[in-house]
Amino acid sequence: MTERVWVVLAVGTALAAFPHVSAAEVYRWVDAHGAVTYSDRPQPPSEVVAPAPEPVSVRKATPAAPPVEPARTGPATVEELLELSGLKAQLAGIASRLAGQLQPTQGQMSLKDQTAVDRILARAVSHDKIYALVRDELRRDVDRVRLEATVAWLRSPVARKIAALEVASSEPATEQKIGVYAAGLKANPPPAPRVELLQKLDWISGAAETSADIVAAVTRSVSKAVSATSPPAQSLRPGQIESRAEEIRTRVSESIRQAQLVSMLYTYQSLEDAELAEYVRFSASDAGRWYNARMHKALVSAVGGVVERATAELVRAVPPERWTRAPESTPSKAQ
Amino acid sequence: MKAGMWAIALTLLLAPAAAAQQRPAVAPPSGHLERAQAEFQAGRYAEALEEARRAADSAPTSVRALTARASMAEFLGEFNEARTFYDRAVALAPDDPGVIYHTASFAVRVGEYDRALGLLDRLLALHPRHVRWLFQWAPRVAQAWLLRENPSLEHIVQIKIDILTEKGDLEQARTLARAYAIVKADQNYCGEAQAKQQASAGRDEIFKAFRLATLGQPDSADCIWWYGQWLSDEGYVRLGRLMVLEGTRVTPLAGNKESGTRYVRIRLGGDRDVPKRAEQLFLIARQRYLRDGDLEGATRLFDEVIRLAPAFARPYNYRAMIAWDLGDREGALGWLQRGIQADPDSWRTHRNLGKLLDAVERYPEAETHLKKAVALFTDDAGGRLALARVLYAQGKYDEFVKETRGAVGFLANWNDQVPEVRAFLEKFERWGPGAALPPAPDPHVIIGWNYD
Repeated sequence: MTERVWVVLAVGTALAAFPHVSAAEVYRWVDAHGAVTYSDRPQPPSEVVAPAPEPVSVRKATPAAPPVEPARTGPATVEELLELSGLKAQLAGIASRLAGQLQPTQGQMSLKDQTAVDRILARAVSHDKIYALVRDELRRDVDRVRLEATVAWLRSPVARKIAALEVASSEPATEQKIGVYAAGLKANPPPAPRVELLQKLDWISGAAETSADIVAAVTRSVSKAVSATSPPAQSLRPGQIESRAEEIRTRVSESIRQAQLVSMLYTYQSLEDAELAEYVRFSASDAGRWYNARMHKALVSAVGGVVERATAELVRAVPPERWTRAPESTPSKAQ
Repeated sequence: MKAGMWAIALTLLLAPAAAAQQRPAVAPPSGHLERAQAEFQAGRYAEALEEARRAADSAPTSVRALTARASMAEFLGEFNEARTFYDRAVALAPDDPGVIYHTASFAVRVGEYDRALGLLDRLLALHPRHVRWLFQWAPRVAQAWLLRENPSLEHIVQIKIDILTEKGDLEQARTLARAYAIVKADQNYCGEAQAKQQASAGRDEIFKAFRLATLGQPDSADCIWWYGQWLSDEGYVRLGRLMVLEGTRVTPLAGNKESGTRYVRIRLGGDRDVPKRAEQLFLIARQRYLRDGDLEGATRLFDEVIRLAPAFARPYNYRAMIAWDLGDREGALGWLQRGIQADPDSWRTHRNLGKLLDAVERYPEAETHLKKAVALFTDDAGGRLALARVLYAQGKYDEFVKETRGAVGFLANWNDQVPEVRAFLEKFERWGPGAALPPAPDPHVIIGWNYD
């Protein structure tokens, strides 16, 4: 597999990995009447026939069933934080997408190599691995007061409803639904106050920033692992890897932000503006800022670490040149 | 000197000897020189030097081989080796103009001016008597023709002008340039140079035009100042300093005088001496790092520069860059701190250290150095944006807004709108502090202040 392919792969992985980000590119334009429209494809010459989302004002509140509240027996813990926030459940989707993106395309390599890759990915990119890294990172620097405040918020009905929606949205099958939803936004754009509220939420929580940093972390990790097995003349120095990661981060930031907005519009459809405003208020609080910053760090570090170790194993087991093999032709019976 | 020019020089050196030259008959070393040339043209300079070494080792009395080795060693900053092999070549072919010319150029490069002048006299002595007489005594009107007919004479004059300029005797350099019709009275060299710059002519062409302006129009303060800044950017800090000081002396405007004085203090190390050899090694080290990716060779040369000129801030910055490149963050910080100890007024070093400390999230220290950078150079909009970022990271939002507005306002005058910074500020003012740190782009709006 060439280095270029690896980098493209890395970006794809991170885009698909973050729960709020659709892998599809999102376009935004303003029509003659000043209305802002979002879509997953450029503005078509004529009207798009796509299923229209229900108007926000009449949307039915249909969140996934909130998890059963665990019995509280002592001070809040990092495990409880991960459980209540829904992140523990979301990590399953993240792991599966990461592994899927690191998979070679069908026929790209021999059956034997493919089996080796499958075995490594199943072991190295698992929910348990990522969860353990996130948990350990969060445990490193626990601020008891802020942790308690955050858990108290997460136990509130609104936060539980939000967590359930985010978990539902993180399932791989949702990607396609978001694509369809995005297409429908052209005919039925969201109200401006809703967009403003979600942009504010993204600004304060740093969700798009986390996605962009994951892109950079995956790029960095893959480059490091591949570089370590390359001949000296072809390997990249740490500074070069850093520059490349930063360059890619800058390049994808804006499209991530756009995709983030569409994804949030989809995920929180059933929330009232007042509920979203509450979410924004918590995110802007001291505890909310602490929680978002710690989660950001833990997620970026965990995904980067898992990808680096998995990629290192993959290129050791199947050297990069064996990732570009042409598909085998079916032997002819006449031969 | 650019690689292309060196390729030409090397080709000349490797070409068969001129008929007029008398040198010992030595069989050229088979293949090594051709391979050296091929490696050089392919940009594999270290390999080219190795081949040139083999050529000289296998034919120690071949002037071509010795000179090729000397040239390659000079190109890569191996000055002791270059000196040894130029000397051997001159000893073997004392009347070879090509060898003498290259040896003289090398002597200028390492600041051995008297030796260079002696070699130029030898070069002159190789010309026929009547040519020498005309060169010495003919009126100015005949000199242009004479130099056109004898290009080697123009080389002699140009090198002598450079020597006089580098020694700080600009008046004598100008006299010489006029005497040999290198510049003519009543010609607007400065206007021509500025026109070339506006027309985006080639870099070398613009550079030569400003040099002529400096020689031909002693009152053209703006052009002299511009030439000095260009030299500084390129790394010719000695000549750059002389030119900036000259432009500062000549300008009638008090503001420009203040600016010129500050420029020398914060960008060119004030009156800290940088020996010519150190300056040239620095230039080559930078090329070996940035152009060739030769970290090992560059590191060795930068270390030599620091040994020769411990108060010269630039090599510390490059040692830091290499350390960072190798993933050694603490090492990079250490080199920059040493750079500041060497020259506490080095704007670039404070700026680099501030940005590096920001990258490793040591914000209070970053603030100290970025504040110093901005105090040293108030028009540094990129430094101000970097300062705004570390202020924001520490929750000093009022100061963040003040610095950001200052930078954005300044950049608007230069038609650089930094839209990402404006968008961030707008969101901050609408929604309060966000999770991400503000962007701190480094706009390149001021010529002469963005390269070190």
